[in-house]
Amino acid sequence: MGAAPMDELLEQFLVEGPEQVQQASDALLALEDTPDDAGLIDQAFRAIHTLKGSVGLFDLPAMGQVLHVAEDLLGAWRDGRLPLSRPGVDALISATAQTERWLGALAATSGALPADAGEAAAHLVGRLRRFLGDDGPAASVGTTLPADTAWIEDLFRTRGLDPARHPTLTALRYAPDPGCYFRGEDPIALVRRVPGLVALRIGRAGDAVAPPDDVYDPYACDLVVEILSNAAPDAVRAPFRFMPDQIQVVAWSPPPAVLAAVAPPAPMIADTVGRTLRVDSGRIDALAELVDELVVTKNALSDLVAQMTGPAVGAATGGGEAAVRSLGDRQAALDRLVGRLHRTVMGIRLVPLLPLLRRFPRMVREMATALGKEVDLAVEGQDVQVDKGVVEGLFEPLTHLLRNAVDHGIELATERTAQGKPVRSRIVLRARREDDQVVIEVTDDGRGMDPARIRRAAAERGLMPARALDALPDDQVLDLVFRPGFSTAAAVTDLSGRGVGMDAMRAAVGRLGGSVGIDSTPGQGTTVRLVLPLNLVLARVMVVSVNGERYGIPMDGIVETTRVAGDHIRPIRAGRAFVLRDAVLPLLALADLLGLQSGTAAPSMPEGGDARRAVVVRVGGERVAVEVDAFIGRRDVVLRPMTGLLRAMPGLLGTTLLGDGQVLMVLDVPGLIDAIPGPSREAES
Amino acid sequence: MTVVVENDFIRLEGACAAEDAETLVSALQGAADPIVDVSRCLHLHGAVVQVLLAFRPSVRGMAEDIFLRDWVIPHLVAD
Repeated sequence: MGAAPMDELLEQFLVEGPEQVQQASDALLALEDTPDDAGLIDQAFRAIHTLKGSVGLFDLPAMGQVLHVAEDLLGAWRDGRLPLSRPGVDALISATAQTERWLGALAATSGALPADAGEAAAHLVGRLRRFLGDDGPAASVGTTLPADTAWIEDLFRTRGLDPARHPTLTALRYAPDPGCYFRGEDPIALVRRVPGLVALRIGRAGDAVAPPDDVYDPYACDLVVEILSNAAPDAVRAPFRFMPDQIQVVAWSPPPAVLAAVAPPAPMIADTVGRTLRVDSGRIDALAELVDELVVTKNALSDLVAQMTGPAVGAATGGGEAAVRSLGDRQAALDRLVGRLHRTVMGIRLVPLLPLLRRFPRMVREMATALGKEVDLAVEGQDVQVDKGVVEGLFEPLTHLLRNAVDHGIELATERTAQGKPVRSRIVLRARREDDQVVIEVTDDGRGMDPARIRRAAAERGLMPARALDALPDDQVLDLVFRPGFSTAAAVTDLSGRGVGMDAMRAAVGRLGGSVGIDSTPGQGTTVRLVLPLNLVLARVMVVSVNGERYGIPMDGIVETTRVAGDHIRPIRAGRAFVLRDAVLPLLALADLLGLQSGTAAPSMPEGGDARRAVVVRVGGERVAVEVDAFIGRRDVVLRPMTGLLRAMPGLLGTTLLGDGQVLMVLDVPGLIDAIPGPSREAES
Repeated sequence: MTVVVENDFIRLEGACAAEDAETLVSALQGAADPIVDVSRCLHLHGAVVQVLLAFRPSVRGMAEDIFLRDWVIPHLVAD
């Protein structure tokens, strides 16, 4: 018992956790450029704080420890107790990266951290603690004030503040000492200078409600001022810098109870602008499947219409014509509906590239740091929308490209300075839409690719005879890097010396129906360009086997699949036919259509009882049964059109890569049938 | 002079300084049902605010100064 809600919580956490990690790391990366930006520290702090809170719900001590120290460090920076340091930011970035990896592991194992989590956590905690250094009792700084936060909550509530809009606030309580007026202090003037006021209460000490007597002394200050501000503690504290003993400052967040009580309706009402819907991809898949079924149903209906308009039925049933017409209307309506549904579903599948692209700046940072390089990654075109299948499939190839750029493209600092380049190099990851394609480019300002060096490497690896290499134009030489086994890295590095290279990257892009190209200018940099379809041309195919080979037949051309008992198959002249629900269908063997040495040619009239499997497809206005050896199943595949000479081949729609890497040919069955020379076609008539 | 007294009607004008607190106290003590008008007020010194909080006269008017109008005067009027 109790497992179900826990699973739900975990599920929720696995959705939100990565977003918070992302927010934290976005802020940390931005802090590198603008270390003075208190807002960024605050953003990182809040994200880590929220994460830490969520992690507390589960038994994940390693993760909790890391986040706890990370929060302490950010808290110390935020409150100005410690100066922000670049190595500290680095350590925090490592901590967020580790957290992200752990979240990945949690998702993969539904709730368990890897065995080395404790070790990794200890390492990170030690590293982060170093920056907390002489701020040793850091935790206690935060705990000196908690006894007196009731007023904050009270003020927050009585002012009707919305926790969703004020997730963190700075609370300041100012109790000027009685003699302050004589020192020329004016509490109201000080409060006037507090930035980001959200709530203010001005009262009298000890809640002095007793009416003043005749000897009331207006110069014995008894004011107490309570302030909530959305500015950073430092900024709120600034006006009171000469009276630190008279103020208390607390960074405060509304407690969960307050949050829970007020928050839920807020996001629904507030975020009507640019509202996005998180759609479970399983649902979309189900919807897509439904559409596919609908397509098949529609095909069957068209078939029915054709059947009823046939002379036999028309004659038999006198009033059949009206029925046929209405059936036809319905069929047309269904057709439109299916089309619309299909477009809608494809639309849902379009998602922005942002979530993908924004994972890279931190990754590039980590790679660069590991190699002792300084690299800025600029990301452009986050708003471009692409099929979610494309987005999912792009992570690996882009990671690979960026890794290559950082590792091989970007020179070491000394090399860069020698060439008069800025030490900090720049990689641009740019996405843009071009008609119905998406172009993604990775451009670095590194050393570029040297055709001579590539020629040499290709020769050494025996990829091509030296003479052919010499004859190859420079731009084609660059394409050699896509050849399996090609690598020009002089030294094997941690990052990319693993032997898998650009060939794997190109294959991954190819699986998405895309292509890869390279431009490079020696000394100035390299651009790798991926061109991908906006929509994955996802074709649902039925995979069948013939003579041990697998082929795909597009589902939308299939009316039904059927089994025919061997003794129901009748020879009709050179061909065969069988009766399916009162209609005679010609039966063609796919092996024959493909011109294979068919197993069915010889035993074309098998023993009775041996059921043949056939796919019923529409060819023109007729149904034709195509015999196969076995149905293997349905697949969603990305269809790649045939290129070159194969394009002229009739009967082939394209190819696709199956999960196991095998190439599947997708057949155009009507095309195959049309291509049959005379005699076999007679079976149809 | 930033505290103008007309019988029970007390008007605070411009920037009220600490010195005005004493004037205000005597004006409030001398009035049966004091009304304090703050509409021409640009600043209220802490001592003046304290007096208004202690004596709780009726406070009227919208101060010209936005900080006073939005953040300080409401405390003197309500609660």
